[in-house]
This record gives sequence, C-alpha cells and structure tokens, in this order.
Amino acid sequence: MEMTKKYWKGIDELKQTPEFIKHKEQEFPNQQTVEDFLADENLAESSTARRDFLKFLGFSVAAATLAACEAPVTKVVPYAVKPENVTPGMPTWYASTYYDGASYASIMVKTREGRPIFIKGNKDFGFTQGGTNPQIIASVLGLYDSERLTAPQANGSTSSWSAVDTAITKAIAGAKKVTLLSNTVISPSVQRAISEMAVKLNGEAGSKFEHIQYDAISYAGMREANLLNFGARIIPSYDFSKAKTIVSVGADFLSTWLLPTEFAVQYGTRRNPEGEWMSKHFQFESVLTVSGSNADVRGMIKPSEEAAVLAYMIKALGGNPGFAANAGSWKAAADKAVAALTKSKKESIVVSGSNHVGVQQLANQLNNLLGNYGTTIDLSTTIELHQSQDAKALQFAANVAAGKGPDVLIMMGVNPVYSMPNGAAFAKGLKSIKTSVAIASHADETASLCTYICPAHHQLEDWADFRAKSNEYAVAQPTIRPLNNTASALESLLVWNGAAARGGQDSAVAYDYIKATFAAINPTGDFNFLTHNSCVSLATTPSAAVYTAAPVKDLPSANGTEVVFYQKSAIGNGQHANNPWLQEMPDPITKVTWDNYITMNPVEMKGKYATTYDQEHGLNMAKVTINGKSVTLPVYPLPGQTPGTIGIALGYGRGANGEKIGKAAYQTKEYGGHALQENGQLTPIGANAFALLSAGATVSYSASAAISPVDGTYPIAATQIHHTVMGRDSIVRETTLSIFQNREKDAFNEGHKLQKLDKHGDHVEAPISEFDLWAAHPVEKIGHRWGISIDLSSCIGCGSCLIACQSENNVPVVGKDEVRRGREMHWLRIDRYFASDEEAAVGTKKDKETFSYDDAEIAALNPTVVHMPLMCHHCNHAPCETVCPVAATTHSNEGLNQMAYNRCIGTRYCANNCPYKVRRFNWFNYPSYKKFTEVNPAQDDLGRMVLNPDVTVRTRGVMEKCSLCVQRIQATKLVAKKEARVIADGEFATACSDSCPTNAIVVGDWNDLKSMIREKSEGVRAYQALEEVGVKPNVWYQVKVRNEENTLLDKIQVAEAHH
Amino acid sequence: MQKEAAIREPLILGHKTYHDVTEDVCRPIEDKAPKMWYILFGIALVIGLYGVGSIMYLLGTGIGVWGLNKTIGWAWDITNFVWWVGIGHAGTLISAVLLLFRQKWRMAINRSAEAMTIFAVFMAGTFPLIHMGRLWVGYWVMPIPNQFGSLWVNFNSPLLWDVFAISTYLSVSLVFWYIGLIPDFATIRDRAKKPLAKKMYSILSFGWSGRAKHWNRFELVSLVLAGLATPLVFSVHSIVSFDFATSVIPGWHTTIFPPYFVAGAVFSGFAMVQTLLLIMRKAMGLEAYIHTKHVEYMNIVIMVTGSIVGTAYITELFISWYSGVEYESYAFINRATGPYWWAYWSMMTCNVISPQLMWFRPLRRSLLFTFFISIVVNIGMWFERYVIIVTSIHRDYIPAAWSMHFPSHIDIAVYLGTIGLFFVFFLLFARYFPVLALNEVKTILKGSGQSYKESPDYHKHH
Repeated sequence: MEMTKKYWKGIDELKQTPEFIKHKEQEFPNQQTVEDFLADENLAESSTARRDFLKFLGFSVAAATLAACEAPVTKVVPYAVKPENVTPGMPTWYASTYYDGASYASIMVKTREGRPIFIKGNKDFGFTQGGTNPQIIASVLGLYDSERLTAPQANGSTSSWSAVDTAITKAIAGAKKVTLLSNTVISPSVQRAISEMAVKLNGEAGSKFEHIQYDAISYAGMREANLLNFGARIIPSYDFSKAKTIVSVGADFLSTWLLPTEFAVQYGTRRNPEGEWMSKHFQFESVLTVSGSNADVRGMIKPSEEAAVLAYMIKALGGNPGFAANAGSWKAAADKAVAALTKSKKESIVVSGSNHVGVQQLANQLNNLLGNYGTTIDLSTTIELHQSQDAKALQFAANVAAGKGPDVLIMMGVNPVYSMPNGAAFAKGLKSIKTSVAIASHADETASLCTYICPAHHQLEDWADFRAKSNEYAVAQPTIRPLNNTASALESLLVWNGAAARGGQDSAVAYDYIKATFAAINPTGDFNFLTHNSCVSLATTPSAAVYTAAPVKDLPSANGTEVVFYQKSAIGNGQHANNPWLQEMPDPITKVTWDNYITMNPVEMKGKYATTYDQEHGLNMAKVTINGKSVTLPVYPLPGQTPGTIGIALGYGRGANGEKIGKAAYQTKEYGGHALQENGQLTPIGANAFALLSAGATVSYSASAAISPVDGTYPIAATQIHHTVMGRDSIVRETTLSIFQNREKDAFNEGHKLQKLDKHGDHVEAPISEFDLWAAHPVEKIGHRWGISIDLSSCIGCGSCLIACQSENNVPVVGKDEVRRGREMHWLRIDRYFASDEEAAVGTKKDKETFSYDDAEIAALNPTVVHMPLMCHHCNHAPCETVCPVAATTHSNEGLNQMAYNRCIGTRYCANNCPYKVRRFNWFNYPSYKKFTEVNPAQDDLGRMVLNPDVTVRTRGVMEKCSLCVQRIQATKLVAKKEARVIADGEFATACSDSCPTNAIVVGDWNDLKSMIREKSEGVRAYQALEEVGVKPNVWYQVKVRNEENTLLDKIQVAEAHH
Repeated sequence: MQKEAAIREPLILGHKTYHDVTEDVCRPIEDKAPKMWYILFGIALVIGLYGVGSIMYLLGTGIGVWGLNKTIGWAWDITNFVWWVGIGHAGTLISAVLLLFRQKWRMAINRSAEAMTIFAVFMAGTFPLIHMGRLWVGYWVMPIPNQFGSLWVNFNSPLLWDVFAISTYLSVSLVFWYIGLIPDFATIRDRAKKPLAKKMYSILSFGWSGRAKHWNRFELVSLVLAGLATPLVFSVHSIVSFDFATSVIPGWHTTIFPPYFVAGAVFSGFAMVQTLLLIMRKAMGLEAYIHTKHVEYMNIVIMVTGSIVGTAYITELFISWYSGVEYESYAFINRATGPYWWAYWSMMTCNVISPQLMWFRPLRRSLLFTFFISIVVNIGMWFERYVIIVTSIHRDYIPAAWSMHFPSHIDIAVYLGTIGLFFVFFLLFARYFPVLALNEVKTILKGSGQSYKESPDYHKHH
C-alpha cells in the first residue's frame, strides 16, 4: 500500500530550515576529531582530587573483587560462518531409512543445531507408509551412547585405522579361508562389495571366501517352505489392507513378525468400523501377544498344535493336509475362522509364525487353497529381509566350536556368542581363530572376543542403501558428522578388499560407492531426488511361480510343558538392550519393565506360584530346563497363555560376562550404582533364552521343557498392577460390529445423563454437557481449542507413541526400582484391560445384580483385551487447576492445561485430584541424583545431547504431565503466522499422533469446524472417559468395535437401547 | 463468691490451702528433676533427633524417600498432619469453649492441654512444609507482593485456606496460652532464688504485679481471646477437611466431612489429654487437682464425640450405597473389604466401639481403663486419616492406575520423630512451666475445694 501520510521529524524538516539542510546528511552532529579533542587545553588542566581518587580506587577494588566471585564463564560460540540449513532454534528434517537387521522403516530424522533428536515414520515415501516401532523411534538415543566404541580396537586395546586395516588386509591375503558372517545384508552396495571381495579372493572357482548370513531371529523356515512350494527361497509381500479375514497362527505380525512396520499400517486401515469394511482377525497362539490382544477371535493353542490348526482349516475348506489333525480346545475358534475364510476367498491372509518348514508349507497350502496368491500375497514383490541361512550358519558355528574355523572371520552386524543356540561353544572356538574381526558398535559378547573390532558408524552417522523389498531402493543419509573415530562398514569392506582408501571422519567412500550402485540399478534416477525422498520405486517382473504341493515332513511334536520363545515389542532380539527407553517401556501386554520372565496362565499357577504382585510383593521363581540347559526366572501370571505352555522372551541376559554394551543393560542397586554379582561382574537383566533354543533344519522357537518352582520371590517392576476395568462402563466402551452397524448410538455408546428440572418444574433427563458447576472457560469459538481423539478400535497397543513422547518431551528414565515403586514418569501410558468372567466385554457387566467385584478383579482364562492410551485430558474444568495453592497449573485460552514448572512447589494435590491419574511427580532430581546415573541419559554428557531443546528438563519436586506437545503447537502457530494464514488441519501433530502407525491418535483444533478432530468428536463412536465426573476433557475416545460374535454383549446393548 | 451445689463432687480434693496450691505447682519447677524425667527426655530427644535427621535426608534427596507413588501422592505425610492437627484441638476447646461455658473443671487441665495443643500444631505444621517438593519456595503460598509480575496465590485452593487456618490457629492458641501463663510465671518469679531463674521468669511474666487492674485486664483479654478462639476450634478442622471434601475423588468428596472432622479432632484431642495427664498427675503429685471427676468429664466428651464420629462413618457408608454412584460405592466397599480392610476395621474398632464403653460409669471412672482407651482412640484416629487418604486414592477412577502404598523407613522415622519431638517439648514444659493454671485454680478453691465443701460453714448458707 502506498504511503498517503507524510511524517516529519520536526518543524525544521517541514520548513526545511538552512540548519536542517546543513545537518541532514550528518549522522552525528558536531563531530570532533580525536586530534581536536586531545588538543583541548582544558583537558590537561583537569585533575583528580585525592578524595575522588580514593573513591575510584575503592570502587575498582570492590568491582574487581566482585568480578572474581563470579561463576566461571561458559562461552557461547556463535557461528562464524552459518552452516547452510542450520538456523538456531529451527529443526531440520531429513528423510532417511532405518534398518538394524530386524526392523526396517522409512523414517524422518529431526535435527536441532546439527543434533538428531527425534525419529518418526516417513508418511510420504516408502512402503512402510510412516509405520515405525518403539525400537526405531528409540534408536536416536543409541547415537549418544557413551559406551559405543570410539576407535578401532586391536587385541582389546585402542588402535588406529591404518594399523588395523594393514593387519586385516595382510591376514586376508595370507589366509586359506576367509568367512564373512553377517546378518541379512539388504544393502545392494554392501552386496556388491561382498561379491567383489568374493571375486577377488575366490577368483574363478576358488572357495577361499565364504559369506554366511545369519539372523538372531530366523525366518528360514518360511524361505525353505517357499522353495518347496514355489521353487525359490523367497518371502512374498503381504497386504493386510486387502484381507477381509486374517488368520495368524503364532505370528505376532503387528509387533515382531517379519515386517511389522508395514503390516501394522496396513492392518490399521481396515480396523476402522466406519470404513468400507472391517477386517476380521483370528489369532491362534500360545503367549498372548500384541497381535493376539487385537484379535477379534483368539484361540489358545500349544506350539505343537500349529500344524494341526492349519491342517484342520485346510481340511474344512476342502483341502488335504496329508495327515489327520485332531481338533483341540481351539476348535470353536477354528470353525469361526473357517466360516469367515469361506466367505472371503481371495481376500484373506493366513500367516504362521513358525520357523518350521512343514508348518509354513501348510500355511502356503491354506493360502493357495483360498486363492490368496496374487491378491493379498504378492510373490512378485519379495521381502528381502530375513535371509538367515540357519543350517549353514549353525554348521559353521559348530565348526568354529570344534576348532575348525577359518583363518579370518569377519563378523558384521551379528552377535553369535549371544544369539546362537550354541553361542557358548562358539565363543570358545572363536579364540582359536587366528584373525577375527568384528564390525560392531560395542565391545559386545562377540566383539570383545575378537582380535580386531572395527566400530561401525551409528545408523544416523552413515550413508547406507537398502532394498528391503524387491520393488524399492532406499538410502539412509547421515544426519550428523560421526561423533567418534568410527567408519562405515561398507568402507571397511572396501578398504580390506583394496578397493578404496580410508576417508577419515568426513569420508565420501561409502557415499560415492552407493551413488555408483544407484546409478547401476536405476540409470535414469536422480540421486539428489532419491536422498530427498529417501527411496525410489523399482520395477519388478511378475512372478511366474505357481504353487506346487510338496509333502510335509517332520512336523513338530512335544510332550510335557511347551515353551514358546517370543520377542517383546520393546526389546526384540536384544540388540537394543542398552537403550533405557526401551528397557523401561512397559510390555504392551504384561506392563512389566526391565525384565524377562516366564509367562504362565494364572489358572495353572494357583497353589504353586503367586498370581498377584505389587510394589512389595514380587513373583515366585521357577527353573525351566530344556536339554540340560536351564534358566531361572520369575513366573508372570499372563491370562490367555495356553494352559500347558509357558513363554520366555528372547533378547534378555545381554552382557552376561560384563561386556561393555551400555550402562543401561545391567541391573542397578536401590541407591544407585550397578548391582554386582558374586564374581564381581555386572548383573545382566533377565536371562538369555537364545541359549535354550534348539535347531533341526531351522532354529526352533518352541521346545518341550521341565519346569519346577524355585524358592524365593523376585521383585517385579510393572506399571500396572490391576488388570481389569471392574465392569466400569465409562472408561472403556466396547461393542460388536453388528451392533455398531445396525443399532443407534444409544445401544453402544449411551451418554451419561443426569436429572434436572425443566421450566415446568418436572424432572427430565439431560446429558452431562448441560451441567456446569462453573462458568465455562471461554474457549469455544474463540481462537484455538486443541483436542485429541483416540480410536480404541485402531490402537494396537504397540507403544510407539509412548517412546515418541519420551523422546520429544525429555521424559526421564527412572530405572527398575523406581518403576517397581510405581513412579515411572511416562507422560503417556497405555492402559491394558483384560475382560473378566463378570463382563460380557471389557467394561460391560454381564449381570448388574449378581456382579461380584472380587471376581471382576480376575481376568478370564482367555480374555479379550483393550489397549487404552491415556495422557493428560486437558480438562476444561480441570480439578487439578482449582486445588493448586500457587496457581502453577492453569488453563490456557487454547484449552490446554498447562504446567508452570518454575511456579510449582510440589504439594502433589493436583495429582491426587486428577481422575485420570496422569500427573507425574519428580520424586528425585533425575538429571543428577546418583540413583539414576546408570539409567537416565540426561545424566550422561553425551546422552544429554538427545534432549529436545524446546522442552525444559524438570527439576526435583515439581509436577509434570502431558503438555499436548505445546512446543509443537507454538512452532506450528509461528509458521502459520509468518505466512499470514490460519493453521491447516493436520498441520499440527503431537509426538504421539505423529508416531502412531495406525493413525489411532488424531489431534487438531476443535474450533476449526471442518477439522478431523471436530468430526471425530461429534461421531457416533465418540465418548469421553469419566464424562460424569464433569471435568469436560478435551480428549475423546472412539468406542472399540470388535468384529466378533458376542451374543451376550449384543443382548445387553440392545436391552440398554430400549431403556 | 460463687458457690457450687454441695452434691457436686469437689474439683480439688484434700484440705488444700492457697499456699498448698502454689507449693504443689511450683515444687517440680524448683526442685531437681527426677531421674525419670532425664530418662524420658533422653529417649524422646533421641527419637526426635532421628526424625530430624530423616527430615534432613528427605529435604536433601527428594520426596521419593517416602513410599509415595504416581497414584498415591499423599499418605503418611498428610495422615500425620491431620492426626496432629486433630490432637491439637483439645487445648483450645478446653480453654476457650469451656471458658465461655464457665466449666470450672477445665482449670485443672487447660494449661497442659493448651501446651499440648501448641506442640501438636507445631508437629502438624511440619508435615505440610516437608511434604512439599520444593520447600525452599514454599513461601509462595503466602499472598505476598513479589517481583514475578502479577503473580498471586490461588484462592480457590483449599490448601491455601489450610495455610491461613493453621497459622491463625497456632498464633491465637499461642497468645491465649501465654496470657494465661503470665500470672503463674509471676508467682514463680517471686519465689525464685537463683538469679538466672529469677531473671528469666521476670522476663516471661511481663512485669505482672497482681494488681486488681492487672487481673481485670487479664480476665477481659482471656474472654476476648476465648471469643476469638472458639470459632477457630471449628474452622481449623473444617478447613482441613475441605482439602478432601472439595476434591473429586470418591471417598474424599464427602459433604459431611467438616462436622465429622471436628468431632474426630475433639475426640482424639481429649484422648491425648488423658494420656498425658494421667501420667503427669501421678508423676508430679497433682492427684488432688486432676482426679477421677476430671477424667470422667473428659471421658464423657470422648464418648459424645466418638458417637458423632461413629454416626458419621455409618452415614458415609449408607450414602455411598444410596448414591448409586459406581465409584462412590466401590470406594466404600473397597475400604471395608479391599486390600486395606485391616486399616478400616482397626479404625472402626478403635473409634466406634471403644468410646461406647464409656457408657459404663465404673469404666469411665477407671483410670487404668481410661489410659488404655485414650491410646486406642489415638491409634484409631490415625487409622481414620490413613483410611480416608490412602484407601480413597489407591483405587479411584481408573483401575489401571490403581496402586498400593507401602511406607518406607523414612516415613516411619519422620512420624516417630514428631512424636519424639512432641514429648521433648512437653517434658520441657512440664519441667519449667507451671503445668497447672495455679492462679486460676485458686479461684475455685473456695467454691469447689473438698475441704470447703465439707466445712460446716459451707452448708450453713444453704
């Protein structure tokens, strides 16, 4: 707009006086030169009186004394030259890729001032579509692990790259046999480097070099079965979003099986009952897993019955499994599955978690029978992960154990001493190998026994490329300059092969090599474009494979108690055992932290083991013996565990010989410090169950065992000690799909009503929203009002949100002893409820007249499960706000319940008065108190780097809680304000909503009438937990809809609606 | 002179003269302390110092040294606070309310009851202070001008009302007690021989000369203060009960809390007076002044307030069922049958059944039985607060957050420490202060003394 008004500095300017014109150009009038000043005669005459001199002297002395008292000056060094893309205070996001040998995902890495501080899934690019898991999100903390190796090691002491490289190159040259033992290599560049090495060492037909791939968790059974049925050792792609019926036999595909980052996203799209259709999920399993807890129908089976279940269904669908299968107690569930499968041929998926070739063959047969190949299962696009060559690797390990190992053994990304069934024997043999090299991040169980350790970069420091699926090429780009003197694994291989020279900390060797690989794979592709998106699609050729039947052999049989070895969603195969966030993440089902244990159905435990526990009363111990090897662990009462079976999680007992694998991987004492064993070594957390595994053609994850009680109790640190919802109907609401589709809202989601007087003085019922004790906060229709909607139907309970929240909000880690005392600090928790026999579904009493509280405390034998994420509800009538004596917690004009940590005096009254119990108190000074040195990353100079600079680290004595990621709200508002526009719906996301693989958590501005949150809050499934307390929360839940036949629940809800 | 009906039991037994009264009260102060005093003082001091040490550790380390958790934010700390405040109710009730009602029997017990009140309130006040996560900024609860901008306290918070209520109560009680002490200090001053003692007591007695004008002012001030203190007796515990009553937690959110808490406070306060006086009268030879009749009167108060408390318990139970509110009814089912059933039934036994035994005259006049019941009542009242605080929040709305409370050794040490400190103060009081309001007792010697009631002159006028 043009200036229409003119302003003058003064009357002089208006009148344009001569003086004004004269001085106009002079910035400083009456300028006097230094010479002029010094030439002033009066200057010499001036003198300082004696008294003035003493005054000045006194002042100077006092000032100098005071200055000397000051605290040491901490210098802030500004950028001399500002790096590109780094603006202090502004985050920079990088698209990258995560792969650790087990989990894979396309990710986004948030960096602040050059430090990666947060990882989330990439929703725009990559087949994982934003799916992550807790391990991926928590992996950012691993970057700042102060126990990562900082330089190459030779014979246990620090060495230099040149020395190590020379020695290794010489050893390779002089060796008769060189073996590379790695985890599954999905990097085309590393594959190329390995094949170059093979060509160089083997020549035309030599056998000097051998590459063996071996994973801690093997899927060899699947590949072998596919070899028999389809002629190739492949793993096809599965598309759960196309499957109307999902039958999983022992596969925890939502959390740990195969490629859960992709499967959970696909699964989530079909769990919304408002969608086009809702999938129906059957799970047959022994240990209650995350997938089992989400199943519509869950059958309890023993691991030895997996084949029988599949065979039963094959037979029922008209196929011939080749052997007679007797139906067990799971028959009812299997019959329902068959009925559903019959209706959804070509639109179903059958998966099996077994690593047994025969069982996988049966799954293939069933899928073939249903016509799923080509529709839900894609043989053309193969999953390239999990290529473990079990037989070869185990034979190799046996050779090494027998002293017949190669001259040079290079191990990359593997930890066979820990994760192989015969790890202990392998360790002994390893010492006799002339030159053993470990490419590892820590001096772990295996690396510490090797001649050389060549520390690899952390994922976030390294260039890498991946082909996790045959149709996608992805890269990982470094987001920080390497912190230590480490090197890319790819570069190490190239250097040892003489194909490259070391590039030092700013090496471009891997980068150039990957660029070349990409150019070869995709000649027309733009590498910068690839880096920007992190991945690019590749063309695949349609598979010509057809199913050919092959006889099923050696099906597993068992006697006595059967053990299932499973993975927990946080710890997985144990490679992140040193990550305190993951150790402290409550298991989605048991809610236990920092431990593994034996899971057993409480029905079976009665009389032998304690079936309840709390802060002071631990669990009883038992000894499990398999083939002469045994572990002693506490016995955890897990409803839903098949009677006659027990479960033990893998991935624990890391660092049994006190290897330096990270401070948080070991048990700590009550007043701080590591707990030492009798032999003076650090005490590992839990016991290593890999040692109990046995292998035929493939590694088997179940076995027959003897179990006997051991005296004594063991303290257990669980975040939840009460497991049922006690028939309360305003916390969790659940209904069946048929009720949801055919009935009005009143049937499945009846709002709470109160009596009031109408204008005629008659009593009428009115909804809670009409009652207000206080004047409402002026948040409606004014500015923003932030809200959250959580869909209990989509939430699978994986725990990604919890870790994302911990990472975003600098939530302290408190260690096992404090969790046991009920003092975990998580701002967001996921409550897990089991149905009891008193309830028709979680939260619905079977019969109000005969309802027994005592019985309602006990979960059913095979209960249905509801996961309920719970954070601060940001109540508009917040009970916490009224009781704070110093107004440290107040309501913002955007509907947020905010904490002023500085103002808090720590009376804890607010926490007591919170109906949701979401407030967390700083019982100690977590960033400095000695008890937390080993576990809390904020106490470590390097670990502290992971802290989000936008969020205060809280001191002791103050209350904290979910802020609805207020720092993100402010940042979003700022961006919108700068661009002079309103905030778009979906622009603001909290850490939890950002990381949810199933989009169960939706946040937004409720005052934006077209926003998703507004729509969700007004939907028929929306309800507010504890609505009748009248606190008017800003969190809405969506009723859990289970696609099951539950006639009792239907009857109750239909009767309710007629009231 | 006002004369009492002859059939009333005399309040002062034996043939005491005015001089005897002075002698009886001053002797313990002027004599050497008995060996037993030193032993008791030593024990109390050791326990008290252990408590002080534990508090230091608590302040240095964090509230985590207690057994609290994410669900149970208050347990022993606030239980002890309410317990001590309750005990601190008897003194002011005796000195103020009974003064206004002209109950002469109060004169024998009011001095020590008030002292007990003040020491109990000291102990009570410790807990809200040390339970704060950041004691060093605890002064923020005061509405004082500050440099934080227009930052003010939250007048909606019952915790803030607590601050005002307790501090007012403490200051009024302290002044009231001290005013009463002035003439007695003067008596001691006049008898003191050692220069230091004489000096100290003359400072303490504020130049009291015993003139009629002094006595006149003394009586007036006492009356005014009694008038001020009387509403405080009811307000303090009402406000303490608001901490719970205004919350949304089932089991806390209870409208009958104010009267119920006040009755409970008087109940426990009188029990504590009984515990202390039954020992003191024996140890200090005051059987003539504090005797069975006094004990009986106090037992009647215990019986009445105990019955009110019992009625309140039963009302609560009834209302929880009658309300039809899921959470409310479960809160009370859980109290009676849940994991803390033992605390609930201890409370019921101690507070509902035991005071009913006072209906039997031989029992309420039995000193041994009274002593036993007085301790039982205070155990019961501790459990009452524990039951209200812990069993309500340990299982409130969201079952996944339900928890248990287990005290740590620091919890126990701090509690025992306050009992130790309380006795340190009380033993010092018994040693250096006139434990009987001797000048006031003299005013009833002629009206209610045994020798006067038995004298033929006494009956002549009737």
